[in-house]
Amino acid sequence: MIHCTCMVQEEQIAPEQEATLRCDTANFAARHFGGGPEFNWVTVGKGNGFTEAQPSNSVIVSLNADRSLAPSARVPLLRELCEIWERGTGLSPNEVVIVIRDPQ
Amino acid sequence: MPLYICNSKPGTVSEEAKAKIADDVTRIHCEVTDAPPTFVHVFFFEDGPQKQTMPPLGDKQAMIYGQIRAGRTDAQKADIAARMGAALAHHTGVAADDLLVFTTDTPASWVMEGGDVLPEPGEEEAWLARHNVKMAALKEAAQ
Repeated sequence: MIHCTCMVQEEQIAPEQEATLRCDTANFAARHFGGGPEFNWVTVGKGNGFTEAQPSNSVIVSLNADRSLAPSARVPLLRELCEIWERGTGLSPNEVVIVIRDPQ
Repeated sequence: MPLYICNSKPGTVSEEAKAKIADDVTRIHCEVTDAPPTFVHVFFFEDGPQKQTMPPLGDKQAMIYGQIRAGRTDAQKADIAARMGAALAHHTGVAADDLLVFTTDTPASWVMEGGDVLPEPGEEEAWLARHNVKMAALKEAAQ
């Protein structure tokens, strides 16, 4: 089982957006890593998130790959998952952080 | 990235202190690493969710857990821990022994932020210049 931690700001993502993001991220993981991830959806409370020392609008998505990835394989995956989250949240590229980790 | 998670027992970090701690953490990270503040994230939790997110507090009152780009020296990491620990103690009034600050490394090549793979330590200035040009072009195209 691979894991996906999604850290979002409170009231940033509507329930229907969350459902779409979970579905699209699970499909992404199934396509590339052979199975849907176990989600760890973490909401950062109002007044508890800061980016550049200012109130944060950032989402941070950290997905564990099922294998070690070469840079040539990782970059397109980062880009695809980034696009899923930009599209699904309506946030700008500067507000979306994507991490795809090798297995630990 | 970096992402600094401040997890604490309920009531340890006041609402007023959070902005000050975030300010100090951002400043210290940038002073120690010469990285720009643009992508320094500081998130606060009380008894935060540990699963895949942060280590347990154990007997500590509060901790700052930083996920930083790999490539920083041991001296830089020690400096970050010492200075952020002092800032956390100052803003919470908690004794240093009851606090914990540490970092873990994440390879820059594993992270995309601002639509680009993050630069290796020391390459931030050129990366940020390219990134700002790209973002300006995107903004112009959207208008």
